[in-house]
Amino acid sequence: MNPKATTTCIGFIFALVLLISGCGGNQTSDDSDSVEETTTEEYVELPPHTVKEGDGLPDILPDDLEWLTNNEDPEFASPDAIQGGVFRTWILSFPLTLRTVGPDSNGSFAGFLRPNNLGPVSHHPDTRSPIPVLATHWAFGEDGRTIYYRIHPNAEWSDGVPVTADDWVFNIRFMRSEQIVAPWYNNYYTERIRDIKKYDSHTIGIQGADAKPPEEMHYNYGIGPRPKHFHKMSSTWVADYNWQPEPTTGPYHVGEVNKGKHIDLDRTEDWWGYELRYMRNRFNPDKIRIRVIRDVNTAWQHFLKGEIDTFSLTIPEFWHEKAKHEVFDNGYVGKYWFYNQVPVASSGIYMNTEDPLLGDRNIRLGISHSMNFQRVIDTILRGDYERLETFQLGFGDYDNTEIEPREFDLDMADEYFDLAGFDERDSTGIRVRTDEDGQKTKLSFRVTFGNPLHEDRLVVLKEEAKKAGLELELHMLDSATSFKQMLEKKHQLAWMAWASQGASPRYWEHFHSDNAGRTQTNNITNHANPQMDKLIMQFRESADRGERIRLAHTLERMVHNAAVLVPRTKVPFTREAAWTWIKLPTWHGTRSSTSLFNSQFTSAGMYSGGGLFWIDSEKKEEVLAAKRKGESSSPIVVVNETYRN
Amino acid sequence: MLDPQTIKQWKRFKSIKRGYWSAIILGGLLCLSLVAELLVNNRALIVSYEGKLYFPTYGSVIPGSEFGLDYEYETNYRDLQQQFKEKRSGNWVLMPLVPFNAFENDLRTDLFPPYPPSLASKHYLGTDSTGRDIVARLVYGFRIAMGFALVLLICSYAAGIMVGCAMGYWGGAFDLLFQRLIEIWNTIPFLYVIMIVASIVVPNFWTLVVVMVIFGWTSMTWNMRTSTYKEKAREYVNAALALGATSPRVIGIHILPNTISVIVTFIPFSIASGVASLTALDYLGFGLPPPTPSWGELLSQGTENLESVWIVSSVGVAIVAVLLMVTYIGEAIREAFDPKKFTYYE
Repeated sequence: MNPKATTTCIGFIFALVLLISGCGGNQTSDDSDSVEETTTEEYVELPPHTVKEGDGLPDILPDDLEWLTNNEDPEFASPDAIQGGVFRTWILSFPLTLRTVGPDSNGSFAGFLRPNNLGPVSHHPDTRSPIPVLATHWAFGEDGRTIYYRIHPNAEWSDGVPVTADDWVFNIRFMRSEQIVAPWYNNYYTERIRDIKKYDSHTIGIQGADAKPPEEMHYNYGIGPRPKHFHKMSSTWVADYNWQPEPTTGPYHVGEVNKGKHIDLDRTEDWWGYELRYMRNRFNPDKIRIRVIRDVNTAWQHFLKGEIDTFSLTIPEFWHEKAKHEVFDNGYVGKYWFYNQVPVASSGIYMNTEDPLLGDRNIRLGISHSMNFQRVIDTILRGDYERLETFQLGFGDYDNTEIEPREFDLDMADEYFDLAGFDERDSTGIRVRTDEDGQKTKLSFRVTFGNPLHEDRLVVLKEEAKKAGLELELHMLDSATSFKQMLEKKHQLAWMAWASQGASPRYWEHFHSDNAGRTQTNNITNHANPQMDKLIMQFRESADRGERIRLAHTLERMVHNAAVLVPRTKVPFTREAAWTWIKLPTWHGTRSSTSLFNSQFTSAGMYSGGGLFWIDSEKKEEVLAAKRKGESSSPIVVVNETYRN
Repeated sequence: MLDPQTIKQWKRFKSIKRGYWSAIILGGLLCLSLVAELLVNNRALIVSYEGKLYFPTYGSVIPGSEFGLDYEYETNYRDLQQQFKEKRSGNWVLMPLVPFNAFENDLRTDLFPPYPPSLASKHYLGTDSTGRDIVARLVYGFRIAMGFALVLLICSYAAGIMVGCAMGYWGGAFDLLFQRLIEIWNTIPFLYVIMIVASIVVPNFWTLVVVMVIFGWTSMTWNMRTSTYKEKAREYVNAALALGATSPRVIGIHILPNTISVIVTFIPFSIASGVASLTALDYLGFGLPPPTPSWGELLSQGTENLESVWIVSSVGVAIVAVLLMVTYIGEAIREAFDPKKFTYYE
């Protein structure tokens, strides 16, 4: 062999080795490397738990506490449920980590991990009362900001270690530590959660920052435990624990992980939670396989082939057009339209009042009356969505249901625009105002938006607004950039939706003058009104439910009167498709079900309503056989309006 | 008038039927698209109302009240035509062939868009998912895409030809320096730059032209550099220099006309690539802002709504047809200018 050939050969082999080690192999080597590293790394002791002056729980458990529990509300799972089977679902991208805190832990996969970290108490999805989970009983302290929990004696982690009060004490130190690289949690567990105390191995107390009405206490201060025996803190904790799933207290824990392909959630064997009244007959599949499919349309094809069990049909196009397929016509797949009652996203057109024109309330009112949402709903959205009446909605008694949204009305728009001086039209039919110095100002605004799916809605609104002599320029940016522009208050009109959660609406972040005229705050209308500020602070500080409800009604009315936003649409339902071997209770779902085929513990943030369905393996055989033979039965379309307003 | 070589080239071009007819059709379409408002528009060509004639096409908006309607915004001439017909009062409206413009949503309450093609509704190729007429979107999109490609062509050729000629004419260190600069410049991934620009500011026609010229002028330099090198060595250049002609004069009057065949041959292909890149950018969502009519946007709508096959098929056929015609023209021009066939030494 000549020398040149030898070098080429060696080079080739070297490249091959590199290639082999580069693909596939690095998945396992990554893991083992990081474990090795941690053994040589020095562990850091978490800083001791500290308490600020003026805060602190009593050293001895007060003996006059009234211990509460709730085992009287109706069960919402079906006694017909059968356990077993594999539920197959999908996500758009593989998670960047299996941690539940720290960098990159806020991706969509967190929706599978976090619900399995149970809290002491959850809320009943129908009655909305607290229900026992990790805690059997709870009691409120006299100061209105303290809550005591008795931990379930049989509660244990998925690795068999019992859950004790130490896990809570560990959690607050963990969440305050720098090693987790999570500033938001650091801040929340320092500023909002002020103290935690272990009274005995199964009794703890938690103190929050402000007094809250009892119904809000669990949601705000009812933090969960963290497995003390599992975490060895070090400066490289974030990297070391990146792919190490934490033991859970919930029904599922992470099983097989095939990087880039799928993740399995396995049901914990002899899960302790089945002792609890509201957990019975739920979380029926033995395994949940979450596949990574990078495109919605591809996932849809997988679903039609029966490789995925359920699919969301909330978007009108899917429900009306894409679901015209033989698997639906032949009755293999059912369509479900289920109305629910949960806080709706505050979607609207938010007007920046710092803009010289938008500072004028008449112009804002004129704009409100030039937005033809009804036409968008009737045509593009196929009449499925509904007009959103108020800024915040879906919080039960807190909702101000007397407010009517401003409708598309050219006469009213005309009146308000005339009042603002825009009483002529230019050659293109857009209104203009002649200012004192003879300058012409055109009635034209930029609409900043970041969701390309909403372009068709804006196109219709734009054409309709022309009739009122108002010009809208559509500025579509990438979603992160558009949000940044809004937070920097560089927008004129912001097409935006805020997610809503919790038991009551929030006004401080969106309308308090502290947040107006400053960048990086959620007051994107820059609305400032001293009278409103006073009421917002009263609302925040009050622990009296009746007073809070009254204040919320007044505040919502003030928001409406200020006309700083045009509420858009709401989607008061979930729509899904499922192969008929996926069975649901006869009542399909609960008041708080944001998805009927949610395999997890929570729904809508604070309620425990998921995991109601089960897999009928006999039916599966039947359907697959029928599909092979080409037999069909009548199509299944279920519309459940039990919770329709 | 014309020098015999040009006449020969023109004859040769005409003899290549594919390219010749493509040039006529495309040229015709381009001319028609310049007066698209007369053919595809929601404004009437002529309205005769109470004995008076109106020509709304190119003027300002005429509010509905002008024709006795109860609104102040722009008249809906299709409705007006209908009303006049029903009333039989002697008033009449003459609408263009396709009575829709590229922006209006012709939405119905009994059906949801996209609507299929129909002669009755005059949506000859159907509508897109917001009820806008596809013929109108195609025609106005064509005008914008061709306009874009031509502006892009002129700007990037101006820069490329200037730099390329200078490199070939002066040679030496100047040439070397620019060669390296252009090589480095070429390695910048231009698509990413556009994506970044588009995520920060909303691109418009001119920002897109500027960005694409900045990254697109270099391709012409190489060809111009070589041709200039070649021409510079010819006797006539030396003669001109000996007579005391300045460098700009030598380049502009003597060398450039002799390299024109190189430039002309590349033009059709540059137009094709200009149209294709605008379409691609619009398809990816980094092109002209909505609701500008654009082929790329239609194509992306079409692929998302494969059930409504009229969207993707009409825009697909249009793109293929135009690019094919441009390529045929390019082919014919290249053939016509090929010195192997026609030289003075024949």
